[in-house]
Amino acid sequence: MSLLSIRNLHASIGDKEILKGVNLEINEGEVHSIMGPNGNGKSTLAAVIVGNSKFTVTQGEVIFKGKNVLEMPVEERAAEGLFLGFQYPVEIPGVSISTFMRTAVNEQRKYRGLDPLSGSEFMKLMEEKKQIVELTANLASRSVNEGFSGGEKKKNEIFQMAMLDPKMAILDETDSGLDIDALRIVANGVNKLRRPDNATIVITHYQRLLDYIVPDFVHILYDGRIVKTGDKNLALELEEKGYAWIKEELENSNK
Amino acid sequence: MTTTDLILSHCDTATVQLPQSMASVQKEAADFLDANKFAFAKNEVWRNVDFSDFMNDELLVPQQNAPTPQTKFTCGIPNLDTTQLTIRNGFYQTDGEPLQKLGNGVVIGSLRTAIAQCPDLVAKVFGTTTPVNNSFLAANTAMFTDGVFIYIPDNANVAKPLQILGVADHEKSIFLQTRNLVYVGKNSSLTLIHCDDSYNHNRCFSNTVTEIVIDEYARLDHYKMQNLNDNSGLINQTFVRMRQNATLLSNGISFNGGNIRNHNEIRMDGEHCDVQVHGLYLMDKEQRIDNYVFVEHSHPNCNSYELFKGIMDDNAHGSFNGHVLVCDGASKTNAQQSNKNILLTDKATINSKPFLEIYNDDVKCSHGSSIGQLDEQALFYLMQRGIRPHTARTLLMFAFCDEVLKSVGIAPLQQQLREMVQRRLQGELSSCDNCVMSCPTDNCHFTIDVSAI
Ligand SMILES: Nc1ncnc2c1ncn2[C@@H]1O[C@H](COP(=O)(O)OP(=O)(O)O)[C@@H](O)[C@H]1O
Ligand SMILES: [Mg+2]
Repeated sequence: MSLLSIRNLHASIGDKEILKGVNLEINEGEVHSIMGPNGNGKSTLAAVIVGNSKFTVTQGEVIFKGKNVLEMPVEERAAEGLFLGFQYPVEIPGVSISTFMRTAVNEQRKYRGLDPLSGSEFMKLMEEKKQIVELTANLASRSVNEGFSGGEKKKNEIFQMAMLDPKMAILDETDSGLDIDALRIVANGVNKLRRPDNATIVITHYQRLLDYIVPDFVHILYDGRIVKTGDKNLALELEEKGYAWIKEELENSNK
Repeated sequence: MTTTDLILSHCDTATVQLPQSMASVQKEAADFLDANKFAFAKNEVWRNVDFSDFMNDELLVPQQNAPTPQTKFTCGIPNLDTTQLTIRNGFYQTDGEPLQKLGNGVVIGSLRTAIAQCPDLVAKVFGTTTPVNNSFLAANTAMFTDGVFIYIPDNANVAKPLQILGVADHEKSIFLQTRNLVYVGKNSSLTLIHCDDSYNHNRCFSNTVTEIVIDEYARLDHYKMQNLNDNSGLINQTFVRMRQNATLLSNGISFNGGNIRNHNEIRMDGEHCDVQVHGLYLMDKEQRIDNYVFVEHSHPNCNSYELFKGIMDDNAHGSFNGHVLVCDGASKTNAQQSNKNILLTDKATINSKPFLEIYNDDVKCSHGSSIGQLDEQALFYLMQRGIRPHTARTLLMFAFCDEVLKSVGIAPLQQQLREMVQRRLQGELSSCDNCVMSCPTDNCHFTIDVSAI
């Protein structure tokens, strides 16, 4: 059985249909990359999987660990192990990263029937996970994302992923706005968190990130559907030929 | 007899007899009431305020100290060491001397006793901080029963904070008029914590006036905490007069109360004064809160900064009225006013009116106000990390309050206030019968680690 199974997923916002029948199977230990031109539904797919109520699912199903997550509230999906690294992380003035994470870790533990971590256990965990993305000490005491640079925001997303240890992480444009050093740190962080019993979806616009996070599968999402699937070489081909190539191929096959 | 009738028919016979030097102030107050009655609805400053409920009620005015054996009231804030002054049902309560004269010249205790024993010191404050400009002030001036008197001489640094515990625990519905006077001498500094707490669910209407003089180069840190039952009304007027280079930090936190009016008037009589007035109010059910701040800049080079934040739930109703007056001579004035509100329901309302009145061109003044809901994107972000909606909302509300809480300069007090705000936001505080200050915290379970914020 797949870890995540998406079948014929349709979703809209208002009366505008954005996802038009997405199919995707992901197994433990795999890294999938979803690529595609802007505005074709990549972020929407991620948002629908984790339960953003802005979008309405009109057809299809999302099965995670054998459970139909479309019927679960956002926080339960998260506690089941679904994590979204946001394309645009939200600023929350007045809430420090450590408070945020301590609350999140303990609420998830509660959901799983575990005792909350004590203050010292939590601090220890945080110190350990900070190393993964080379997060500086003072960042954790600052308000969540407030006044962070683009790179700091993305590092912070991966730090949160490390803290919460999700079964399935979806990283939405984690590479955008990063210089090469930050990109390397973020990608290394993701690689360190990779295990045989978890899986990752890397949504990206550019092939560049995939030099560091090598995917098992590459999918191209175009006009609300996955139109092409291949291995890491598909990303290289796409980089070389450009997205127009996909459009042409599609038009040819439709003839 | 209704409260209104009681005041209007008795205001010319003072409850506490003042010496000749101050009696004229009482006469002026009685005349003011005679002329104006309680017809203040036309008055812009009192327009939002409605205490008719209490004014039309028949309430008992306690006439003397509570009977023995006296309950001893203590403040239970962990690690906060204060000198406590208790005002119970309108009268100063102590098992020692009603007025203490400490070695360093500090005088603290009952105002009633101070008027008898050291009228010269009382006269430095009484009636000097404001004209008689409203009927509630006039009623208090004419008829106050007792209150706290604090005199800090020049060049004294009072290390231990003073704490006024205003306690209401009468078995009847009561009307209280207490008056507190505070003098902080030149180059001196004082931290004053003022708690108003209900100890039972009986109706209590309190018309309190506090007059404060902060002399040259002196500093006052003034913290006000209000946690009253839903049947209570509180008009809490504070008048401050500052001399040159004086500093005031005022922090008022209204946790609970049926109807609260916080009325502040601050006048700066010299250059280089610095004023910060902060307020936080967390109201729900049918509660009302009105915050009024008047700041008069009459001299150059003074700063004033106001920050008021509130969360209104259920049918709660509130107003913020800020008035900064910058007079002709007050060049290089720096004045800021800010009022931010979160309304949690469609029924909750807030009337926000920051107002700058400026007669000098060489000033930096700004004001702003906002009314909104919790940020949906932030809620989604928190919930995506596994945080349940209730906790997520509490966390965001708490974060909203933090801007005010972090200006509290005493660490144990700040810690206590954070815990209280959190419990209030989780709906736990109003269930406490006793003063929350002394209620044990170990039976409350915090899901959020407030110490880490
Ligand atoms: N809140 C919204 N309101 C209206 N349209 C939206 C909203 N969010 C996304 N869309 C539309 O959905 C489509 C897909 O967007 P998105 O999933 O963000 O694409 P991608 O991540 O692939 O760039 C776009 O046409 C975008 O304009
Ligand atoms: Mg996107």
